[in-house]
Amino acid sequence: MCPWCSQRTAAKFEHGRRVVVTHVPAILLAVLILASAVRADAQHPSLTAGDWLRVDFRARFQGDVRRSEAPMARDDSRLDIARRRLGVEGRVGRVFAYQVEYELGSNEWRDVYLDYRQFRAVQVKAGAFKLPFGLDENTSSTSLDFIYRARISSRLAPGRDRGVAVHGRVLANAVTYEAGVFGHDGDNARPSNSTRVFGGRTVATRVVAHPFRSSESPFASLQVGGALSSTNVPLGFPAVRARTVFGVSFYDSDVWVEGRRQRTGLEARWRPGRASLQSEYIRLTDERRGQSVEDGDLSPLTAHGWYVSGTYALTGKRHRLGIVELAARYETLSFGSSGSNGEASTSARADVVLGNTDRATTLGASWSVNQWVKVQANVVREDIRRPSMGPMPGRGAFWSRAFRLQLTI
Amino acid sequence: MTMLLLVAMLLSPVVAGAESSDDFFDSRTLHDVRLYIHSEDLRQLRERYLEDIYYPADFEWRGIRMRNVGVRVRGLATRSATKPGLRIDFNRYVGQQTFLGMASLVLDNALKDPSMIRERTSMAFIKRMGQPAPRESFGRVYINGAYEGLYALVEAVDSTFLARELGDGLGYLFEHKFVDGFYAGDLGDDLGPYKLRFDAETHRLEGDYTLYSPIRELFREANREVDAVWRERVGWFIDLDQLVTHVAIETFLAEFDGFLGGSGMANFYLYRPVAGNVHRLIAWDRDTTFQEIDAEIFARVEDNALFRRALMFPELRMLYLDVLEQCARAAAQDRWLEVELLQMHQLVREAVREDTGRLYSDEDYEAAIRHLLSFAQRRPAFVIDQVAKAR
Repeated sequence: MCPWCSQRTAAKFEHGRRVVVTHVPAILLAVLILASAVRADAQHPSLTAGDWLRVDFRARFQGDVRRSEAPMARDDSRLDIARRRLGVEGRVGRVFAYQVEYELGSNEWRDVYLDYRQFRAVQVKAGAFKLPFGLDENTSSTSLDFIYRARISSRLAPGRDRGVAVHGRVLANAVTYEAGVFGHDGDNARPSNSTRVFGGRTVATRVVAHPFRSSESPFASLQVGGALSSTNVPLGFPAVRARTVFGVSFYDSDVWVEGRRQRTGLEARWRPGRASLQSEYIRLTDERRGQSVEDGDLSPLTAHGWYVSGTYALTGKRHRLGIVELAARYETLSFGSSGSNGEASTSARADVVLGNTDRATTLGASWSVNQWVKVQANVVREDIRRPSMGPMPGRGAFWSRAFRLQLTI
Repeated sequence: MTMLLLVAMLLSPVVAGAESSDDFFDSRTLHDVRLYIHSEDLRQLRERYLEDIYYPADFEWRGIRMRNVGVRVRGLATRSATKPGLRIDFNRYVGQQTFLGMASLVLDNALKDPSMIRERTSMAFIKRMGQPAPRESFGRVYINGAYEGLYALVEAVDSTFLARELGDGLGYLFEHKFVDGFYAGDLGDDLGPYKLRFDAETHRLEGDYTLYSPIRELFREANREVDAVWRERVGWFIDLDQLVTHVAIETFLAEFDGFLGGSGMANFYLYRPVAGNVHRLIAWDRDTTFQEIDAEIFARVEDNALFRRALMFPELRMLYLDVLEQCARAAAQDRWLEVELLQMHQLVREAVREDTGRLYSDEDYEAAIRHLLSFAQRRPAFVIDQVAKAR
């Protein structure tokens, strides 16, 4: 079925079309005027005090327009300034680096840390920052190939928390590592609903190898890695839940958990020339100690998924139009349990949990006009395995689209 | 030895698979039913016994274990934290899961009945009189291994029941909910008061007009002046012969809390086939039967707007008396009712004594049994005498 031919959703999309027709050309025009006024090699505003202090000022403004055949968690059919971040970063002396970032929209601190960098092999970072887990999750939002991170990154990877980490590069920079201890298991796992549970003290580690880094071969840019995290969750329903690309539930994890939460991640990236290829797998398990109807243990609740994505730059870095890039991604996100004893059930104490899976294909284009301005457009096709649990109970597959304008200083 | 174990293991599913719902409702056997509920859920279930909250559980009978069933407390006046009446929904958390073909089951705590056998004996008598009634048996119920008490195991009135009893399980089924003293009066044009009193058990997704307008019309027509067309017009919405038969059986059983209940209509289902608007009654919850042996056969008839008018028609009054007489003769024939009560008494006696959750003492139990036996011996003659006088 063609994505736009549903009668029921035609009206919704007509409204979205009007929004895009009226807003997007105006935005693009503004972008071009703004971009042409700025020198391509301009730098961030910064302050320096001799050799001992450097302060770079950062600001990021991000506006989204989103439309979907399915319900969305937020209706952003109008241009929504989704992110307004201000921050500073720099160094103190030769051995300390720092970053402080604040989100004006949600009034919350983002990265706030101090990094002791005297030795390349052993550096120490303390404060609030992303746990060392996941390639996509630890990629800056200004550098993403798509408007939204893969759902395994935004749902299963831990995200940001307070902690201390040791990191560095060893073996002639062929291996980078990071390992830390954090107060909890990240803001991706933290509940918006206060009755849900999340992890306590968390240990996380990530190791990435660049096996052909020093070679001249096309594989020089290849990196492979893995990550582990471990924590304990108290008794309750977990806050880690299944959401579509636009944030609507397709499985609510209304299952009792208690015990160890473990995450396992594998990642790979290769950037030969103008193309890039990236893939990641994440598995999260929550123990369910003492949660069976006989107060015994149940098989762990599992959430797992993977993605593979690729990009191709149509223009080089020095092109007068900036960088224009095409991208495609296929991803899955599944929730369930590892039990096999009996029929799958929606019971909160079922050994075999009746979970759900969402498969999404994203096609995208991005235009980095210069280092300040980036425009992205994505079209997403999602397919929910059990539509009755999803945003459109009578229908499993639906289309969505998003447009983003990002200004970075 | 290993070989024997292997053979036993291979045979056990075959044995379990041979059981049927008739075996489960074999009332000559005292069954053992086991429920497994997480300790925290069980604590919640007892603490919040006034709420209809479902909890996950496993259900086991004769080695057949149904996993992930839904259990909730049920009942109105019989709600109890100590010995909760329970409803089991086998398909609550597993779509299409059934136990011996049943989607649901009721574990009736028989809390108001010191004899604990009124419910099952009444339903057996209703069936003997040719009316549909849920099958019932007795079971010792264990929760997490602890004896909870003696329960009546009651077949749920649902599509499966209707298909078997009426040959049609596709229609509209409503459970009458006691809200206040409703004596079949006209509640007006608004469908809300009817929706409040008649809980749709099937076709729940259909609109209120489809579900409730035939019920509203039933009571609207029933409350019109009795004239030449009253019976015909009311007959469009209820099977009057079946209504009269249903009430006559209740009257013989000296039911205090039925269609002619002292506090208003109570304890019945209304069923309406998809084709047509004619409802019929199905009996439910008969643990307040066998009251006074000399309960009048026209007791509380005047209170009920529908039944009072129905009995103004000579044919319906005659039917009422005929059914009452048939009931009396059926109960007395070969001392059927007395024998039935005695058999049930023998079956459950020890289980009742061990039941620490009941509200009544052993002496209350013995007294209740004596009353029931006396009822069985004397009620038929009393009713036949009353019928003769009324003719």
